[in-house]
Amino acid sequence: MKKSISKLLVAPLSALLLSSFVLAPVAEAKERGGGGGGGRQVAKGGGNKVKVNNNSRDVRSTNVRNTSVNNVNVKKNTNVNVNVDHNHRHGGWDNDYHPIATAAAVTATVAVTAAVVGSIVRTVPPNCVPVNYNGMIYQQCGSTWYQPQYVGPQVQYVVVAPIY
Amino acid sequence: MVHKKLALGALALALAMPFAHAESPPPAAVTASANAVDAASVQALKNMGAYLQTLQRFTVMTELSGEKVLEDGQKLQHSAAATVQVQRPNMLKAKMWSARNERELFYDGKKATLYTPELKYFGTVDAADTIGGMVEQLEARYDIEVPVSDLFIWGTAGAPVDKLESAMNAGQDFVAGVLCDHYAFRQGKIDWQIWITNGDKPLPRKIVITDRSDEARPQSVSLLNWNLKPSFKDSVFTFVAPKGAQPIGIRARDAK
Repeated sequence: MKKSISKLLVAPLSALLLSSFVLAPVAEAKERGGGGGGGRQVAKGGGNKVKVNNNSRDVRSTNVRNTSVNNVNVKKNTNVNVNVDHNHRHGGWDNDYHPIATAAAVTATVAVTAAVVGSIVRTVPPNCVPVNYNGMIYQQCGSTWYQPQYVGPQVQYVVVAPIY
Repeated sequence: MVHKKLALGALALALAMPFAHAESPPPAAVTASANAVDAASVQALKNMGAYLQTLQRFTVMTELSGEKVLEDGQKLQHSAAATVQVQRPNMLKAKMWSARNERELFYDGKKATLYTPELKYFGTVDAADTIGGMVEQLEARYDIEVPVSDLFIWGTAGAPVDKLESAMNAGQDFVAGVLCDHYAFRQGKIDWQIWITNGDKPLPRKIVITDRSDEARPQSVSLLNWNLKPSFKDSVFTFVAPKGAQPIGIRARDAK
């Protein structure tokens, strides 16, 4: 049973994986957000993967009020400490529109000029230099310093007071 | 008399015809009350959960379609995929990818590490000593969800079946060519459906979750593929920082 099943699985599985690889650049080409922070292109660790470009994306497509969920059992801490949106619950492991992330995306356009300490952005400007200080990694962008951190499953950047 | 017999015969034939291709005889009464919890459907869920808990080492691959609801109620669909490698009770590796975000999660029974290959950043936190505990901790504390996390909760106290407000058998269906029993449940604002492999290895192969808390009812569809004889080594569960990778923090949910 196991053997036949796993054999049977190989074909649909590879089709599945293939389709997600092949389709992704086409179907989701408009997904990745520059977040308004200059759309910094980061070198891919993986190498030859096609990059997503969202320059043509309509801003309405990121104005998300809710998402689907993809688990039944894990407790949903709905709407805790989220000061931005209405009834936003995070929508599972595939969700890139994290409540804080959404807020950050809004902040991003402001942060380019204001860079208020404590504000969070999804991307940093293209001229930043990584600095390793006291075992912590920062991005120094002119006089503005960012500290990368995971907010939910995503890397975001907090504006911190200049380290030196 | 003869006429009557013929007529009856024709009638019987006519009655039988529509069901000639049915997989099973139709139930006598199809009008169950709307919110009834069908005990057999709940039992099927329990059996699946118990079976899942017996699987010690496996790989499960999932492809998911999710939906975002925009401000005006219009919905956008997106897709993502993940591969999860598991050694019970306390090791897990997940790789998740979509056009938006690619990342990996390593859990070796002591620590959980999130790694983003694109940025070469990783974050590590101390983790609970079971997969179920780790899943709950990451979700509650750090807002990080593990793909197909239900698989680690079903069959445990974390997935109480007495919370179901409705449970029904929706018949049988094929998922990727495999005959499955299809069940539908309601609990709170969540409607969900599951397709469980028919037979003595009740693996879930498809899960659909409809969120009724929003009038647009965003829905996710997850397809699951299983390998119960995986070839990976335990070393896959241990994160080894690639060259040039940098550690960063993982923000706790209540952090300001």
